[in-house]
Amino acid sequence: MAHQTDPMGRRDVLALGGAALAGLVASQAVAAGPATVKFALTPVFLTSDLDLLDKLKSYLQQATGRPVQLVTRRTYQEITAMILAGQVDAAWVCGFPYVANKTQMQLVAVPVWHSRPVYQSYLISDAARTATDLEHLKGDIHAFSDPDSNSGYLVTAAELASKAISPEAFFSQTFYTYGHRNVVRAVGSGLAQSGSVDGYVYEVLRTMEPDLVAATRVVRASAWYGFPPVACLAATANSENTRLLTKALLGMQADPTGREVLAMLELDSFSAEPPSLFDTIGANMELVRKRA
Amino acid sequence: MTWFTAISDRLPLTFKVPALVVVLMIVIGAGVSQVVFSRLVATQERQLNDLADAYLDGVESAIVDPVLRQDTWEIFDALDRARRLYQAVGPLQTVVADPQGAVLAASDPRAAPIGAKIADVFPVPASATGKVEIGGQGRATVARPLVVEGRMIGDIYAELDTAALVHERAQVLWTLLGTNAALTVLLAALGWFMVRRMVRPVNVLFAALQRAADGRVEPISEIEMRNAGSEASRLFAQFNDMAKAMADREALTGRLAQEERLSSLGRLASGLAHEINNPLGGLFNALDTLKVHGARPEVREDVARLLERGLFGIRDAVRSVLATYRPDRQVRNLLGADIDDVRLLVRPEVRRKRIELIWENQLPKEFEVDAFPVRQVVLNLVLNACSAVPESGTVLVRAQVDAADLWVDVEDSGPGLPAHVEAFLGAAGSESPVAGTTGLGLWIAKRMAAELGGTLTAGHSSLPGAAMRLRIPRRVGIEGESQHVA
Repeated sequence: MAHQTDPMGRRDVLALGGAALAGLVASQAVAAGPATVKFALTPVFLTSDLDLLDKLKSYLQQATGRPVQLVTRRTYQEITAMILAGQVDAAWVCGFPYVANKTQMQLVAVPVWHSRPVYQSYLISDAARTATDLEHLKGDIHAFSDPDSNSGYLVTAAELASKAISPEAFFSQTFYTYGHRNVVRAVGSGLAQSGSVDGYVYEVLRTMEPDLVAATRVVRASAWYGFPPVACLAATANSENTRLLTKALLGMQADPTGREVLAMLELDSFSAEPPSLFDTIGANMELVRKRA
Repeated sequence: MTWFTAISDRLPLTFKVPALVVVLMIVIGAGVSQVVFSRLVATQERQLNDLADAYLDGVESAIVDPVLRQDTWEIFDALDRARRLYQAVGPLQTVVADPQGAVLAASDPRAAPIGAKIADVFPVPASATGKVEIGGQGRATVARPLVVEGRMIGDIYAELDTAALVHERAQVLWTLLGTNAALTVLLAALGWFMVRRMVRPVNVLFAALQRAADGRVEPISEIEMRNAGSEASRLFAQFNDMAKAMADREALTGRLAQEERLSSLGRLASGLAHEINNPLGGLFNALDTLKVHGARPEVREDVARLLERGLFGIRDAVRSVLATYRPDRQVRNLLGADIDDVRLLVRPEVRRKRIELIWENQLPKEFEVDAFPVRQVVLNLVLNACSAVPESGTVLVRAQVDAADLWVDVEDSGPGLPAHVEAFLGAAGSESPVAGTTGLGLWIAKRMAAELGGTLTAGHSSLPGAAMRLRIPRRVGIEGESQHVA
């Protein structure tokens, strides 16, 4: 899952904007032909999503030398479906859908955060609580980010599965917020008593929206997992668009505009990583599937 | 209302008018405030209801789908955004519950956790009409059912912050009170000032009348006349005319008294001439006798005694006249001899008309009343009686005292007083001289009696003519001089 978390409070606005953009993209695609690079992602961030998208688009156009269209969707499921349907040249997805569709997908690049292509899942609770372990959260109303998110669902579900219990049975109630930031909001406001959230997003939020994060605390950080990657359809992995996009992402830290984008994302760079980076996610997925 | 009228009559105009202004301003202020305030309340409630409706409309449209999907996060997110979007409504808490009354989500989840019973976490809306009413607590509640295609899928409960509205009401109320109070004070002060200006001439006139009642009739000064308005000037001018007329009358009265005194002197003059002339004849005779038979000692002694008696008689007559008419007289107590002096003065008249004069002077040696005016009045009364009786008539004079008063009765056997004179003497307050020739003396006598604090009344005598009764109260605290009549 990734750090493409979704939306902040403007998720709906962005979704609408995304939809409009997508419509625009479609019509332009007809006009411009296959030369347009189409890159999909969930609304990634936080307070400056639109700035980020502008900057990212600007960099990618400059780096690929082609028109670039960014396509945003609310859920990982929608993004995953677009990749599988060949509607986009590449997409920033979560490790969980990548692993789940490993046979049809191919890695394009993996973000490097704090010098490593890995991140954690956090269990968070209200700042006033003293829980230090998942066990202490039994009976809570628990907020998940997305059913296709590794850090926002799978990590917690797998840990419970290892104890032979389902999230629905362990928690009194669960719900999905479709955004890591929303998990923080849900827990901070008291709507949920605890939540599963992307550690990378949480840490970025800590600097960008300290008040929001201050209402919560980290109960426990998980093991390290492969960072949500950029992936493409394996069948089109050798297309010119995908090749140009891969080159642009991997060369981002060498370009001033690229570095601005990375700075906004608080990432070091994008790197090429082996699929094995996501094996632990695959193991968790198997665990949950077996339990189910 | 009689007590009110009584109190109100006693209060000065300078108090009553400002007080009336205050009362009117309070009534008007209360009425206007009531209208303004009720309009404000109605406007506020209408606005609040419009806002609440708009708010609930917005929330409803945003949460219908999430409620159908039981999407807790989406409901919360919609409520959370609405809270910021509709800050004018001031939603403190918005709760969405399912048809069974279990909370699906709330804008403040800590106060209304998911799954809690709505009855436990939200006050029942105050009004079943769906209208929001602004209570004094600064909070108002409203509820709306969520209905989709005729099916009830839940309820929205909202608690709105009306503190600002309540505060606005209080501010308006205090502003109204403050403005009204300030206006009331201002207008009352203005009323007091203006009325004081308006009644100033009345006060001036009142003071002048008060002085006149105390016996000092003075015209209103030129300064006051200049300061007064045209109406007041006319009023003052009329008062001054009246004051002048009164002063003239006072002067006239004084002259009349003087003339009356001289008039009675005139009436006495011929009698006095006789009184002096009679002994003079005897004295001349005695002188002749002395010239012829002066050598004889017994004759000389007889003549000397004769001369002495004659001269005594003349001296007494002259003394009495002087005592009555001497202008530089001093205030002194009445002596019994004063009354007897009157007898001496009227003797010529008595003798001329052969009147039987019954003289009962029972006065002590001295009595504390002013001697001069009493002599004057008694003389006047006795002379009147003497002139009223026919030849050989009877006049009775009785002077006596009791602890407090001097009483002098003068009765005669004449025809009695004319009716109008008797009426004048009977009427206590009559101030004007009576018409007719004989009235002036009695009028002055009555005035002099009144100046001494006494009375002069008329009645019928058993003689059977007129009966006059003079009563003069004893003076208190003034020590008279025991000066003899001479």
